[in-house]
Amino acid sequence: MRTRIANPAGHTRLPRYLSGRAGRIDAVLGTLPYPDRRAAGIVSAVETAYTVRFENADVWGPDGEPGGCICADLFESYLEPRE
Amino acid sequence: MSRVHDMGGQHGFGPLAIESDEPPFHHEWEARVFALNRLLLRSGRYTLDEFRAAVEAMPPADYLAASYYERWLHAIETLVREKGVLDVRPG
Amino acid sequence: MSHVHEEPHASAHESSAGAANRVKSLVAALEAASVLTERQLDEAIESFLAHAQPANGARIVARAWVDPGFRERLLADGNAAAAELGIDLAHWAPVRLRVVANGPGRHNLIVCTLCSCYPLALLGPSPTWYKSEAYRSQAVRDPRGILAEFGTHVGADVEITVWDSTAEVRYLVLPERPAGTELLSEAELEALVTRNGLIGTALV
Repeated sequence: MRTRIANPAGHTRLPRYLSGRAGRIDAVLGTLPYPDRRAAGIVSAVETAYTVRFENADVWGPDGEPGGCICADLFESYLEPRE
Repeated sequence: MSRVHDMGGQHGFGPLAIESDEPPFHHEWEARVFALNRLLLRSGRYTLDEFRAAVEAMPPADYLAASYYERWLHAIETLVREKGVLDVRPG
Repeated sequence: MSHVHEEPHASAHESSAGAANRVKSLVAALEAASVLTERQLDEAIESFLAHAQPANGARIVARAWVDPGFRERLLADGNAAAAELGIDLAHWAPVRLRVVANGPGRHNLIVCTLCSCYPLALLGPSPTWYKSEAYRSQAVRDPRGILAEFGTHVGADVEITVWDSTAEVRYLVLPERPAGTELLSEAELEALVTRNGLIGTALV
């Protein structure tokens, strides 16, 4: 999968450095409170979340450490299939 | 949202300041801010996401100038005001 | 490795005094509006500090070192394994625990780039450096540089995974059991475990 290219005006838990990056699902976390909508006052909002693994090279290009990766817990709405 | 709190990958903030034998809180007011937030969250006055959004909405220069618990205090004051927590409820 | 910033100290001191006054007024106003009492606040602080201790994290690690079955259960379901030791992760706030194990060629580092998510129940309040811009910005792009600031070095052949806590999962590192500790008791092993080892900025 890939994270969406995004820059919402409101609260989100998709960090900017992980926007528009290719990764793969490391774990399915199940249904969790969905922060983007809960921060807007919709207290009951939930979404499926995943732990997603990104290779350093896919996040930082040649400027990151060779090898190694970053994992982050991301919501369904942040993700799209990789083309 | 792409605000100042979104730190991952930025350059120029180092080096780390590492304090040895750091106490849980440096001032009593910090412990109070911490507990205030927990009690207000637990009683449903606001959600953790609203709290985070209130921290993140600080003007960037203020965010960077504030200590960690000063940011929390700012967010709690904001939410207490916005949510009308202090409004006297009909009897 | 500790850096003292002399210059901003005076202004930080002033703003801390200002914050203390603001907290006092806020608590008074909340008490007057019957939202909460000062006593409830004091009790919450006391209860938090009594329950949320790095010793909890150390107990989990030492048990995992001596009991392979527990280790397996811990890596599969952190909350259930912690409950086996009588540790209530949800005492302060509901969180899901995921324990990630270091091993040969594998090291883990925990960060929260967006705020300061941290396994409070197992480690107590987080240190200031964990919440700092310096740590939050650098840990994901330069974990070896961060480790070096702690005097921690991992081999070039070791793959580092950085866990950015962006939802309500809290991460804890399970360090490798140090060599030469075969004869130590579980209690002695607990004493070897450091808070930084459980964040990943130290090896144990």
